[in-house]
Amino acid sequence: MNRLGRWRGALTVGVAVAAALVLGAILLAATGANPLEAAGAIVTGAFGPDGIQDTLAYAVPVAGMATALAIPLRAGLVNLGGEGQLVLGAISAVAVGLHVPGPLGLVAALVAGMLAGGLYAAAAALCETRLGVPLLVTTLLLSYPAMSLAAYLVRFPMRDQGSSLPQSAQLPPDVRLPALAGNGLTVGLFLIVAAVAVYAVVDARTPAGFEARVTGWGPRFAQYAGIDRPRTTLRLLACSGGLAGLVGAIVVLGFPYRFIDGALITPQYTWIGLLAALLAAASPLGTLVAALFFAALTSGGFAMERETQVPRELTAVLQAVLIIFLAATTGLLRRRRSAA
Amino acid sequence: MTQPAVQLTGIVKRFGELLANDHVDLTVARGEIHALMGENGAGKSTLMSILYGLLRPDAGTIALDGEPVVFDSAARAIAAGIGMVQQGFALFDSMPVVDNVIYGAEPTRRGLLDRRAATAAVSELVERHGLRLAPTDRVGDLPIGVRQQVEILKLLYRRARVLILDEPTAVLTPAETEQLFTVLRDLAADGHTVLLVTHKLHEVTAVSDTVTVLRDGKVTMTGPTSATGRAELASAMTGREVDLDRVYPAGQPGAEALTVTGLTVDGRAAGRPAVDDVSLSVRAGEIVGIAGVAGNGQTELVAAIAGLLPARGSVTVGERELSGLGVARRRAAGLAHIPEDRAEVGAAPGARLTDNLATGFHRRPPLLRKGFLRSGAMRTHAERIIERFGVRAPGPSAPMRTLSGGNQQKAILGRELTHEAPVLLVEQPTRGVDIGAVVGIHTELIAYRDAGHAVLLVSAELSEVLGLADRVLVMYEGRVVAEFPKTEADPHAIGLAMAGGAPRGVAGGTAEDSAGGAAGGVAGAAGGDEADVVGDATGHASENMAGDTAGDTTGDAAEDSGGGAA
Ligand SMILES: Nc1ncnc2c1ncn2[C@@H]1O[C@H](COP(=O)(O)OP(=O)(O)OP(=O)(O)O)[C@@H](O)[C@H]1O
Ligand SMILES: [Mg+2]
Repeated sequence: MNRLGRWRGALTVGVAVAAALVLGAILLAATGANPLEAAGAIVTGAFGPDGIQDTLAYAVPVAGMATALAIPLRAGLVNLGGEGQLVLGAISAVAVGLHVPGPLGLVAALVAGMLAGGLYAAAAALCETRLGVPLLVTTLLLSYPAMSLAAYLVRFPMRDQGSSLPQSAQLPPDVRLPALAGNGLTVGLFLIVAAVAVYAVVDARTPAGFEARVTGWGPRFAQYAGIDRPRTTLRLLACSGGLAGLVGAIVVLGFPYRFIDGALITPQYTWIGLLAALLAAASPLGTLVAALFFAALTSGGFAMERETQVPRELTAVLQAVLIIFLAATTGLLRRRRSAA
Repeated sequence: MTQPAVQLTGIVKRFGELLANDHVDLTVARGEIHALMGENGAGKSTLMSILYGLLRPDAGTIALDGEPVVFDSAARAIAAGIGMVQQGFALFDSMPVVDNVIYGAEPTRRGLLDRRAATAAVSELVERHGLRLAPTDRVGDLPIGVRQQVEILKLLYRRARVLILDEPTAVLTPAETEQLFTVLRDLAADGHTVLLVTHKLHEVTAVSDTVTVLRDGKVTMTGPTSATGRAELASAMTGREVDLDRVYPAGQPGAEALTVTGLTVDGRAAGRPAVDDVSLSVRAGEIVGIAGVAGNGQTELVAAIAGLLPARGSVTVGERELSGLGVARRRAAGLAHIPEDRAEVGAAPGARLTDNLATGFHRRPPLLRKGFLRSGAMRTHAERIIERFGVRAPGPSAPMRTLSGGNQQKAILGRELTHEAPVLLVEQPTRGVDIGAVVGIHTELIAYRDAGHAVLLVSAELSEVLGLADRVLVMYEGRVVAEFPKTEADPHAIGLAMAGGAPRGVAGGTAEDSAGGAAGGVAGAAGGDEADVVGDATGHASENMAGDTAGDTTGDAAEDSGGGAA
């Protein structure tokens, strides 16, 4: 019965993806492009020998943010402040990395990123549990001062003296994550893979993960079962922000080894990550798969634009169509059925 | 001869392996109240959902007034004049009655909601059917019984001619049930056809013209109610003889296990507290039953003991003082709790049965080993509870919500009894449970008591309290107003106390000090209209109920308190 259900679930997802692709093809054809050619360009662009590196480089922060946001989402808590935590993690990592030399500096920078993001998200959690301001509001609102602070820091105290751009100085060579490719892909990849693996194990196999899921199933049931909601909220948000901060640190500890204002916001890591987590109902593996898929689609989109002159925005349309189809079929938008 | 209003022929419905409806034939005449009975999981809700277009039958036909129809959605069934109140409520608590009634079928004028027409139409219906509510009342402020009437209003507003009510009385007090039946009789006389699902034999006798019994998806009996005896119905349902009104032998109480002193819970509105200075104790090997008209503080009392509501006063389990502790600590100190609201509080409907049954056991062996949860052990744990308590489910991986209402209750009961906690708080243990299973649950509770545990039982069924409890306390307006030992508990005296007219003699004579004091006070206060009260104890109680907005405060109150209860 359960196996059947899972099989049927896979089937509906398959059908949704296929339907979205057909619709995408029609859209492409409508703009005068050859849909097959464009699709081929996306696939080679995303997974071809050159493309795969770009896909991975983009997938690392997206998957990292997706997992970070999935952690509280498992308990039904939405962290909308991913951007602030990401940026704060990144700027803290750079600040520490510029002052602590050597390999110790590298570790200290990663830890600083994690701490900054984690503490900041924990503050948002406390605003809910202590002051009663909804988490949606506190996380989102706290995001803006964090981004502004970073913007200020790289314009004034931390500014790279040799440049007119709002960016920090470059990190010294021994405070950099070893590169796997020239495009910013670093061993940070393994850190994210490890984070996803830890999340998967904690979610499925530990009491803490179980309690998060129970909270997600029903807050009143969780309270009745003795699960302390404020404490759960605080812990989950701290982990979420910590991972977001780590992602920020990993990004700035890779090429070009500095904090550039806006560089973490423009690529939409956070929002694409949130989408992936929402679509996968925060399940650890599902979130990873969805994040990789979106990353591939985005980097494939760049390739398509180069090869076929089809505007890259069409992949964004495709992405949107896909999200709507998936959401509709997986019941994300469906109202919860009342108990019988 | 006129055509039957509803005719179901050869209805078959499968859920995977499980045959929920097995060639069911059902004929309902126009203007008739037709009761549908059967054990939990017999397929009653399934059959009604098919008639209402929520489920499609695998085989069989539906005819209305002799015309064959096919419903592929509830919308089609509604258009054909069928309306259904499903098990449990589907209302928006924060909205007024009108909005709830017109939701989904709003009258419009020039494309905009025509609020005046809506209110007028709803008022007209309220008046015509003599309902006791105002269209502008907020649903959340209404007592449960009145909310039920809002559900019926919804159907009438949509011009339903066939009304399906799936266990509408499960959450009602006897007086509210009587009111509902009056409404149903009027509707039937008006030409409406009513299909009523219920587990209660006396309700079937009281209100229905015809009764049909399902067992394992098949019709085992159908016929005019007047020609059918209670015993006959019970055996058609269960396939065996059932001892209907059993009173269990008294227990042998030992040391005090649960002591509550001066417990006070603030009411929702300022002024009268929901629980007012309640003191009581339950000894090991004893069941203490709390009787009372719903909404007199029973739910809040239990929630406060369990740590779900903030309260003043002291609660001790064994030697351990619990005040100030959170739910988890209290449970660890020896409390288990079967809550009234099984769909939202007692279980997670969307989660697997395994997970529902593991909750609460997930921080200790055998489910936990070396810091990790063992899925094998979780499964075994679930299978053991399913087996021991006779939960009928497709399997341990089935989502909780696919279980029938009564089987969900058995699963929750099984989980909480398995804790072997010294003190068990149990609310409405047999609500929505079939009569065969009622006996099973009662036997379990008695066995639990006889194993030396203390049980605090809250039930709206007076017969249940009388049958099980070694001592009966009566709550009225948040206070314990009377206490009866098993030997002196007679329904009349208890009914009187429930209505606020606790006679001085009974309470003063036998009660322990604390209860006696409170009872004396109330008896004095209520003295003026005592004669009136004696005349019609339950009727009076219902009026108190209807005028009282505190009908169901636990839901919201528990949410408000959040985790702050700790
Ligand atoms: N969606 C579903 N998927 C799988 N099985 C289901 C589903 N709905 C109901 N069932 C099963 O079908 C059987 C009949 O269920 P139904 O809800 O009709 O019982 P019921 O007679 O209404 O019981 P109760 O008195 O407890 O409400 C049960 O065994 C139940 O577990
Ligand atoms: Mg049912």
